[in-house]
This record gives sequence, structure tokens and C-alpha cells, in this order.
Amino acid sequence: MNWGGGGRKLMPDNSAMKQQKLPAHQLHFSARVVLTIFFATGVFCFCMGVILILSAQSIQEIEVCPILLYLFFWYWGLNPGGDVYMYYKLYGFYQNHYRYVLSRSNNQLVGKDIMVRDVEDCAPFKVSQNKTPIAPCGAIANSMFNDTIILSYTLKSSVHIQVPMLKTELTWWTDKYVKFQNPSLINLSDRFVGTEKPPYWQAPIYELDTSDPGNNGFLNDDFIVWMRTAAFPTFKKLYRRLYRVQYFMDGLPAGNYSFNISYNFPVTRIKGEKSVVLSTLTWSGGSSLFLGLAYTVTGAFLWLASFALMAIHMTMKKKKLSYRR
Amino acid sequence: MCRQGLLPAGHDTKAMLNNSGPRYKRSKIERRMNTDIFFCIGLLFLMCLIGAVGHGLWNRNFKDHPPFDVPDADGHFLPLALGGFYMFLTMIILLQVLIPISLYVSIELVKLGQVFFLHNDLDLYDEETDLSIQCRALNITEDLGQIQYIFSDKTGTLTENKMVFRRCSIMGSEYCHQENAKRLETPKELDSDSEEWTQYQCLSFPARWTQGPATMRRQGGAQPLRRCHSARVPIQGHSRQRSVGRCESSQPPVAFSSSLEKDVTPDKNLLTKVRDAALWLETLSDARPAKSSHSTTSCIADFFLALTICNSVMVSTTTEPRQRVTIPPPSTKALGTSLEKIQQLFQRLKLMSLSQSFSSTAPSDADLGESLGANMPPTDLDEKDNASVCTGDFSTDGGYRSSTWDQGDILGSESGTSLEETPGAPTLSLASPEFCYEAESPDEAALVHAAHAYSFTLVSRTPEQVTVRLPQGTCLTFDLLFTLGFDSVRKRMSVVVRHPLTGEIVVYTKGADSVIMDLLEDPAHVTDIDVEKKLKKIHARTQKHLDLYARDGLRTLCIAKKVVNEEDFRRWASFRREAEASLDNRDELLLETAQHLENQLTLLGATGIEDRLQEGVPDTIAALREAGIQLWVLTGDKQETAVNIAYACRLLDQTDTVYSINTENQETCKSILSCALEEVKQFQEPQKPDRKLFGFRLPSKTPSTTARTMAPEVGLVIDGKTLNAIFQGKLEKLFLELTQYCRSVLCCRCTPLQKSMIVKLVRDKLSVMTLSIGDGANDVSMIQAADIGIGISGQEGMQAVMSSDFAISRFRHLKKLLLVHGHWCYSRLARMVVYFFYKNVCYVNLLFWYQFFCGFSGSTMIDYWQMIFFNLFFTSLPPIIFGVLDKDVSAETLLGLPELYKSGQNSENYNLSAFWISMADAFYQSLVCFFFPYLTYKDSDIDVFTFGTPINTISLITILLHQAMEMKTWTIVHGLVLLGSFLMYFVVSLLYNATCVTCNSPTNPYWVMENQLSDPTFYLVCFLTPVAALLPRYFFLSLQGTYGKSPISKAQKIDTLPMDKRNLEIQNWRSKRRPTPVPGVGQPTHGPVPPVPEQDFRTSPPKSSIPPKRKHMEDWVLRGQKSSRQCGRDGTCSGDSSAHLSSGEHLLGPNKALAPETYSRGQNDVSQHLTRGGHRRSQSSLTI
Repeated sequence: MNWGGGGRKLMPDNSAMKQQKLPAHQLHFSARVVLTIFFATGVFCFCMGVILILSAQSIQEIEVCPILLYLFFWYWGLNPGGDVYMYYKLYGFYQNHYRYVLSRSNNQLVGKDIMVRDVEDCAPFKVSQNKTPIAPCGAIANSMFNDTIILSYTLKSSVHIQVPMLKTELTWWTDKYVKFQNPSLINLSDRFVGTEKPPYWQAPIYELDTSDPGNNGFLNDDFIVWMRTAAFPTFKKLYRRLYRVQYFMDGLPAGNYSFNISYNFPVTRIKGEKSVVLSTLTWSGGSSLFLGLAYTVTGAFLWLASFALMAIHMTMKKKKLSYRR
Repeated sequence: MCRQGLLPAGHDTKAMLNNSGPRYKRSKIERRMNTDIFFCIGLLFLMCLIGAVGHGLWNRNFKDHPPFDVPDADGHFLPLALGGFYMFLTMIILLQVLIPISLYVSIELVKLGQVFFLHNDLDLYDEETDLSIQCRALNITEDLGQIQYIFSDKTGTLTENKMVFRRCSIMGSEYCHQENAKRLETPKELDSDSEEWTQYQCLSFPARWTQGPATMRRQGGAQPLRRCHSARVPIQGHSRQRSVGRCESSQPPVAFSSSLEKDVTPDKNLLTKVRDAALWLETLSDARPAKSSHSTTSCIADFFLALTICNSVMVSTTTEPRQRVTIPPPSTKALGTSLEKIQQLFQRLKLMSLSQSFSSTAPSDADLGESLGANMPPTDLDEKDNASVCTGDFSTDGGYRSSTWDQGDILGSESGTSLEETPGAPTLSLASPEFCYEAESPDEAALVHAAHAYSFTLVSRTPEQVTVRLPQGTCLTFDLLFTLGFDSVRKRMSVVVRHPLTGEIVVYTKGADSVIMDLLEDPAHVTDIDVEKKLKKIHARTQKHLDLYARDGLRTLCIAKKVVNEEDFRRWASFRREAEASLDNRDELLLETAQHLENQLTLLGATGIEDRLQEGVPDTIAALREAGIQLWVLTGDKQETAVNIAYACRLLDQTDTVYSINTENQETCKSILSCALEEVKQFQEPQKPDRKLFGFRLPSKTPSTTARTMAPEVGLVIDGKTLNAIFQGKLEKLFLELTQYCRSVLCCRCTPLQKSMIVKLVRDKLSVMTLSIGDGANDVSMIQAADIGIGISGQEGMQAVMSSDFAISRFRHLKKLLLVHGHWCYSRLARMVVYFFYKNVCYVNLLFWYQFFCGFSGSTMIDYWQMIFFNLFFTSLPPIIFGVLDKDVSAETLLGLPELYKSGQNSENYNLSAFWISMADAFYQSLVCFFFPYLTYKDSDIDVFTFGTPINTISLITILLHQAMEMKTWTIVHGLVLLGSFLMYFVVSLLYNATCVTCNSPTNPYWVMENQLSDPTFYLVCFLTPVAALLPRYFFLSLQGTYGKSPISKAQKIDTLPMDKRNLEIQNWRSKRRPTPVPGVGQPTHGPVPPVPEQDFRTSPPKSSIPPKRKHMEDWVLRGQKSSRQCGRDGTCSGDSSAHLSSGEHLLGPNKALAPETYSRGQNDVSQHLTRGGHRRSQSSLTI
């Protein structure tokens, strides 16, 4: 007997791993486990759905379509309370178009490569006709939304107060402080010497906000918001947020409001529409009525499934019993 | 003398010519997969087309180019059609993941893993040969789980290919070797019977035999030596029975020498006769033969001489590795002697002490002592001794010498060989206690060992001379004049020798009985009427014995002799030399010359050699059959032998109806086939109702269970000639249709080419998965023809192994290999492939849906890198682990319930419907995964890649959970890999999104993930969507798991039970499934009474096969012994033997209803019409 010696050189190891005998748990869908899982998940989903729907109810949103008039009145019946955000909403603007999304230079926007030397992505909005580089380059920047929307509150029959709005902190923090950087903060216009404004623009990048010099260049909030390309052809983008002072400490009070919109951004060419949205936020972020409904419906389906399983289980049991007899 | 002529070598050898070269094998799953990939390509094109057309339509909406429609770098817009075409190409790039290239890589990895585990299975490891399974093909593991037909060789595959001498018949008298049979029956109890055995040896040899005790001592001493290795080797839960006597630890592993083959217990009766014969032989030296050449005594002597001489066995000893050398130059010999001597001495001492310690009987001890002492005398003495004892015409004319050695001489001559070569015994090392015989075939070795048991020992063989030691110790050296080697045409071999004592030139021939019996001298030519009668009687009796042997599954050989006078021989020899020297037609000339010599032979006797069944063969066959696998045995052996082996290994059952078809004529064959078919159809539906045959389906009626239990199983036995007729007469279709109804098919007398033709026929025409298993070079073409070739690394060299896909060492390993590993490999891989398709479609569709919202512009919402990582890292490992490790049913259950194998045969895990169901599921899931987030974030200010993140996360969770549901067995590895993949996604995403400020335009995914993780909506979506996506699948899985009717889901349920309950359940199941035992002889109850016109046919041909069979049954002297032999062979089953005995009667079962008159009438009718083309001895017959 060659125990251990040369006799059994090729004998496989007798380890649990190699013999495929690792301690294992059989995943088996037994009636009890399945029913429990279905029921529990169903209950959870249903509850979650109800909560979400309720919370969605508390969101107040109003959409105004400035089709004919750039100035009109309407009556705001409820006091929304808390923060109010003003969005502009575009219909049928494909910000997610492949070539459009590509048409930007992140290096330029971060302030490193103002002259857009190394990236081709921006073409044909990379250089102007006289070969000077465009800042900011690319189609996204070129097509920036440039309407001005002014919301007015009719305090008395003839007194219109412009609702105070903030145009900062509209963006992600990281966008403002990491992804978008001006070449230098002091004397912005100098830094953009040698560049040209995009062809559709009326003012150069360093004159986007004449009222606030800090909100200019690549750091302009409207610009940053626009540069974050929307996922769907119909989208809204944050335009202003309510500055809660005076009459507007608790949001927008009930009353008559009017919009004064300077029409700059063409939408007829894109066969689209634009509108203004005023909205409040809830804990779950934006509107979540769908999520609530989806949760409720899924929960209902789970219950249905568990009831069906139970019914099948019962009949089978009966059958088995009768078969045994 | 150099044997002239050219040997075919290399590529011209038969083995190579039969070998059609390697065939590229692709597994069934891969073939199936390739068609599905075409589906995927079609789907891809459809999606791309939709993209292109959509892009065109979308562009047509705008009269002017909108600001978001960006022109190319030069400011030009593409024309609409070109834009659409480019979009088509863009979409191909975007959606190309639909074609799962990664699947191919994963499959290779999975197969590697599967092969690793296959290779490491202890159950597939054979300790005796120290071989585990060899997977030579890495790419067809999963085919092991889909086998529908197994084609097996018989010799060496079902049987051990260890030939054991069982019986012999000399001059018409049978010597049944009862003791030997007894010994073979109880191989496990060798230790207890060893003493008896030695005692018996002592008893049987009369006292005067002590003068030549060398043989006896040798046997006695050697016997215990091989006792030492029967042991149970428990290895941590894996205990295996080591079959006794296969491992020779005390001696080098020499081919064809296991103790089973070597030890033949002589028949008492015969032994005494042999003694007389040997004595008689010695008298020959004194005077010319006094007795007639036909006397029994002389025949016995001749018989044993023939056994010893007529072969090509080479002798080697344990001390000297081989003895093929011719007489070496003495000078060189002398140099190495002293060392050798010492070495040999040591060897001997060691062996002796071993044997001493083992043997318990006094005589052998004493002998050993003697021998030890005798070893000492100086060589001169030996020499003298030699000279003095040598008897007979030591130096008469030319060739022959003889010498007698007593024990001392043997030892002495060994030590003395070097100094003084006895010319007759060159380089003999007789003292070595064991001769190792190396033979071309195991049969030869078995015969030499048998002769050796009767003390006719082959001592040496050189190209010119053969030395035989007689019982008395006399050594006869025969001059080998010619050796006419074995070939498959002649089916015999002959040696021409000059008898050293009589000086006669004698031809000893050994060969297949059918051939030899034809070549015997016609008794009618003998003048003496008595002799004629006697000869006839001997022939008849021998023939009877031969049939008997064949029935019993023994391999038969006939031994014959012929004395040639000098003149004839000289004339023949010159012809022969001419033939050997000729360049053209050499083979034919050689054949012709051989035929000239090999005629007018005198029959000496016949031998029966048993090829023992391998351990566990019946069990394996039963299990494979239960698994729904059709087993065909294709063998080159005789029909009778094959049929008997088939019964022994339960391939055929005694209740089976067996059709044997033997004919050469195509028309006859056709009529037989169609008649048999019609008859079978009467009481049986096809075994596999909806199997495609030649493109169209066979009538598929689901046979009611009652009908099936009533109908007897059908077996088909067919021979090579009939196969020829079938292939030439384009009867394949008929033949295959008949085999559809047969439980087992036995093809005898097949050539290697025929074997492969059958395999190809079945493989191609029935489009089934085939497996061939064999061990010899003759199985190579068959192994290569099948979908899976399995080689048994056994006695017959490596050709089969080299051409196989898997090499195993025992047939019984096939059971676990197929039922467990095959099933696992198949189910794992199949489900992995389906999962992969699902995964890719599910993921890619997300991108496709997005196209509807981005103007079909080829935009993606998921970052490139994350997309690549998704397939490469986050979701690649779980399927691979699943493919390597998952067990849908445990090994124990799979072995306990072989019928679970059918799921693989029917491709249940991966077929067209499985593919499309998973595709539909993928579409559904992708819809949910896309539109839930879409609807959630619709009308919000979300940006492209922030929207992509929850989608990516959701699809990852869904895909991983889907995988988790697919996994039936969870081990720590599964859990870790799934969890690891999930965590890796988040870690990688967070790191990537945190570091990438300006990189990877246009995505620039900086802080996207972080931002999303701080948003409660993200969690809400990521919880809800997978739940909704997996709900239907989970629902149906639970339905299936709880109330599933399929055997697999039932087995899975059993698997969850604790061990003891599980076994109980398995037993319950088996007892439920197994049909109530068919009443053995009570067959007439089946079906309607066969119509009259068919009766003729049904009854006709058995004339040649059935009645003799019956007769032999009666003649069988040793009934009890036979049954016990069956028992011993089987090892496990004891009740089988008695049933087996009556198999002949069972075969007759269906005929019983017929009146005897019709019976005989029918016989005459059809046998006349059938025998036309039939072989002389195996007439065309259809046995029912």
C-alpha cells in the first residue's frame, strides 16, 4: 500500500470546496416564505404609496403658459407657504440630443482652457467666423435661455410690486465651486480678451448679470443651470427662488400676479412651447405623485399576488387531502 | 533473421487510417446559442432600424434646424437619408451589447471552472490506477447533461478486459474448473481461502512431485503475496471499495498481469491427466511414440504445449525488466554479472521473506529454506549439475535441447547464467519467483497463465526459440520455425515448431472457433472407421462445448495441431519465404501461404476465457436507462458472448423480447425489419414519442401508462453483416425506426468503421446527442464520431484516451459523470446563457427606450465607463460563479433519481421557449426599469446623467436580484460575490464621480452619484422599481417552487428536507415511478392476439437459435455452478441468477400461444427463404 507515497499523486483534494460540498442554503420558494414576503412587501409599498401621495398633495405647483401676452394677470388663490421656486419650462427642446450634449468644453468651463485649443467637441461653435475662439463655446451655451421673467404682485388695484427673487444658489454646490470656474475673479472682462460671445448671445459672458458682478462669467447661475443638460425634451429649469422678505415672508400671498416676460428665446422654431412654473418643494424633492401611485399600485399587485398564491395553496391542499383519502 | 517486409507505420497504420482526424465539436448549447444570437442580431437590426427611421421622422418635424440640432464641424447639416443611415450605424455601436460577446468569454471561464471541479471529484478517481477523470475537451462539458444515446464498447468497457481462464475442453471432454470458478466468485474472501488453497495444492500433488516442487512452491509462495492489498480505504467520508487483486504493490505494474488472470486453480481431474501426459511426454525422449497420436494423453500434452507456445507472449521477470533480447554477446554479459547477481540475490531474499511472512503452511517454508540453501553452491557445481541432469538428445541435430532443472538448478542457473550460458536458455532468470508475461492481447496472457497453472511454464521466448518447462521440471526448447501472426481475416495464429523430442515439425494453431472448425481434417478422409467416428464425436462434442461457453459469455478459442512432414514443410517454407520477400501483393501471398499450411488440422480442444464485468456496471446501466438514455453496445465480439454479457449487465432483461437479426441479404433484411417493426408497433408505442425521424415526426401518441407496463421491452441484436446489408440497402430508416421501439440494441461483430457509421447514423438522422465510450484502438473512430467521446484508460493502450473528450478509468464513473456532473454542467451553463441573454437585452433596452426621448440621436443617459464597468465588473462575476457552483439539485438526489437527467435531454433549461420567455421578461423588466424612473423624474429639472444614475442602479439591483433568484443553492461564495458586486458598484461609482471633474466629456459625471445618494427620491425609486420588475418572475417562480409538477422542482423540494427524510422521499418516489413488475411468463395478456399472417414470421426463424439454446440448457451439466457464477459476477444481486437461467424460456414467451404445428411449419418456410445469404453457422434468424 502506498499510503501517501507515490501511489496517489493525482488524487484530488478532499476539500469541501473542491468536492462542491460547501455548506449551502437551498433557496426554495415555499408557500409560507413566499406569502410572507409578498404580504410584507405589499404592506410596505402600499403604506409608502399613501404617504407619498399625501406628501405630493402638499406640493403646490402652478404653470403659466405665456402664449399670447407677455404680460397678464391671474389670481393666486392659496398661500403656498415656505419656499417658492420659479422655473421656466420648455416643451420639445431636446437638450439631450447626442450632438448637442457633446457640444461643450468642460476644460474651458473650469477656467483652464479659455481659448479651447484642445477639444473639437465645440465645433462649429468653437471659433467665430473671424477665427476668434468663442467663450463659452459649443451649442449648449449658444442656445442658452435668455428670456427675463419678472413676477409682479398686485398689492392694490394699481400698485404692482415686483416680487423679490434671488438669482443665486440655483445650482448644485459642486457645479458652482468645482466644475465651473472663471479664469480669474478680478476684472473679468480682461480674462475673456481674445474670445468672442456665442453667435446667438446678445451680451458677452462677462456681462450676463449686470446687477451682480459676482454672478458673471462661467459662474453665472443661469448659465450653469442651462449647461446641465436636461434629460427629457420637456423640462423645467430653476430660474429664480423667492426672496422671502416683506409681504413674501411666508411665500406668495394670495392675490393677483402678473408676469412680465421679455421674449428672447425662440420656441416656434423648435415647434415647442415655453411656460413658467411656480412650485413649492416637499421632503421628497420635486413632484412625486407618480411615485406614490406606483407604490400604491405595486403594493396592491403584491397583495393580489399573495391572495392568488393563497387561493392556489388552499385548493392544492384540498386536492392533496382528497387524493390521500 | 530479420523479418522482412515493411511495417505500416505512422499515418499508414490501421489505427490512423480508421482515424478521421479531430472533429471540431461544439456543444448543443452553443449551437442553440448561436441561433439565438442570430435572433439577437435580428433584434439589434430591428432596433437600429427603428432608430434610423425615427431619427428621420423626427428631423422632418423641423423646417429649420433647431438650436439643439448641431451641425457638423463645418456647419453643414447632413441630408436626411444619410443622417438616418449614420444613425443606424451609431445605434449599432450603441446597442451592440445586445450581442453578448462577453457571454463567450464567460462560457469559457465557466467551463474551465466546471472542468476543474470535474477533475477534482473524488468519486471519479480511481485509486488503483491513480487516475482521476481527464477532461481533454474543455468545451463540451454541458453536453454530458444532454446525452440521449450511449454507444458502448463491450470489452474493456463493460468488462474488465482482464481475461480469466475459466474452462477448457480437450478431445471432447469438458473440464469445468470448479475450484477455479469458486475462487473467482469470492474474490473478496481471498484471505480466508488462501490456506485451503495451499492445502489443496499440497494434496493434489502426489508425493513424488516434491522432486519438482519449484512450481508448487512458487505458486504457494506467491499466493499470499498478492493478498496484501485488499483494504478499505476510508478517506474522510469517501470510502471506496478497492477491488482486490488489481494493484500489485510488490511488483512492477506490468500489463496484463493481475492476480486474477494469473491464478488459475487447476481442475483436479485434469491435473492428474496432465501429469500422465507430462510423463508420457518424457517417454517420448526415450523412444519414438508408442501410442497413437490421437490418444487423449498425447492430446492433453499437445494442448498445453500449444497453449504455451502458440502465442506471442514475451517473458520478463521481476528482476529483469524484459527478456526480449536475443542471445547477447557473452562478453558484455560477463561484465555486469557480479552486480546483477547480488541484486538478484537481494531481490530474492526480500521476496522470500515476504512470502514467508505471509504463507502459513509449512511446506512452502521448508521449500524456501531449501531454496535458500541451494542458492549458495558455486557455479561450477551448477554447471555439472546441469550437464548431468539434462536428459535426452542434448546435442542431437541442430535445434532442440532440453534440460531438466530441479529446484536447486533453477536457482543456481540464475546465478550462474552469466558465466556459463546454457545455450538453450539464454539469459534466463528462472529463479525469479514470478514470470511476467507481456502479451499482445489479454487472452494470450490468460492462456499462458492457465498452462502455467498446469506446470507447463513458458520460460523464455526469443525469435528463434521457445522454452517450456514441463511439470517435472524438464525444459523443452522448441525451435520456432515460423510464426504466422494473428490477423482479423484469418482470425487465427499459428506457430510452426520442431518438436524437440520427436523431431517432428508441428503446426500449432489457435483461433476463433468458427474458423478452426472449418479447417479441421475431415473425419471422412480418415481410413480407420473407428477413428472417424471418434473424430466426429470429438468435433461434435467440442462444438457443443463451444456453444456452451459462448452462451455463458466466455470468449472461445480453438486449439488445433498438425504434423507436417519434412518435405512438405520444406516446400511450403520456400513459398513462405518468397511471399515474405515479395514486394507486390505481399499481404495476399502471406494469407495464401498461411492458408496452405493451416488446413487439415487436428482438433485438440477449446478454451473458454471469461472477461469479467466491471464493478458496478449493471447498476450504472440501470441508472442510465432510468435516466432515459438509450444504451447501445457495439462490439466486435461474437453474438452469443455479447448477448450473454448484455444479460449479465442487465442491458437485456430476461422479460425482454429480443429480436436477433443475422442476414447478409438486403431484401431479407428489409422484410425482417419491417415485419419486426410492425409487430413491435402492435404492442408498443415508440419509446420517445416525439422524436424527429428524417425530418418529420413520428406518430406521437402519448402512451398510456398501462399499455406500457403491459408491453414487454424490446431488445435488438444485430450483427456486422446485417449492418452491412442495412447500410448498403438503404434500410437505415427502417432500422432506426425499429430501434426507436427497442430498449437496447446490441451490435455484434462490428468493425470499427461500422461502429462509427452507426454512431453517425443515429447522430445525424435522429439528431440526438450521442456519447461513445470505449477503451481500445478499435473504438477510436466511434469515439470521434459521437458528440462526446469517452475513453476508458484501461488495458488496451492510450489510443481511445487520446482521441476522447473525457477519459475515465471505470465504466461506473459514467453514472456520476452524466447524472450529476452532466446535469449540473448543463443546467448551470444553460441557465447562465439564458441569464446572459436576459441581462444584455434588459440593459441595452434601457438605452433603446431613451432614444424615444432624445430624438433618436443615439444619446445615452449612462456614462460610458459605467456602462462598460457594468458588464465587465458589476454583473460579470455572479453569472460565472453561478455557472460554476450552482446546484439546482443535490448530487445525492440526482443519483437517487436518475430520471431527473431527462430535463437535460429535453433541453428544458434552455430551449426556444426559455429563450423567448426570458427575452420577454427582459423587455418587461427594462420597460419597468426605464419608465418608473422616467415617470418619476418627468417634468423635473433633472439632467441627463443624473437621470442615468438611478436607472443604472436600478438595473444593477434588478439584474443581481434576478440572478439571486436563479441561484438555487446559496453558499458563502454566492453571497459574497453578489454582495461584492453590489458594493463594488457603489464604491466604484462614488470614487469615479468624485474624482472626475472635467473628464469623459460629455458625461462629466462629477458628483452625480453623491448628489443622488442624498436625494430620498433616489432611494424610493431604487426600491420600488426592482420590486415591480421582478414581481412577475418571482410570482411564477414561487408557483413553480411550491406547486411545480416538474420532477426538477419536486426534487428541489426534496432537497430542502433533512437527510433522513430526503432518502425516504427518494425511495417513495422511486417506488411510485417504477411500474409494477411485469409478470414474467404471463405475457400472453398483452394486447390483441397478433394477426394470423404474421404468425409465420414470428415463429419462423427461431429454429436455429432457440431450440438449440434450450437444448443446451438441458445439457448444461453444472447448472448450479452457472447460477452461482452469475451471482459472483454480479456481486450484488443474488436473485438474478435463477431468473437468468431461464432466459431462454422467457424469450419464448410470446410464442407460447402458438400451436406447435404452426411453429415448425413456419420454421421451415421462412428459414429456407432466409438462409440464402446466411452465414453457414449463424443463419438468418429473427428471434422472438
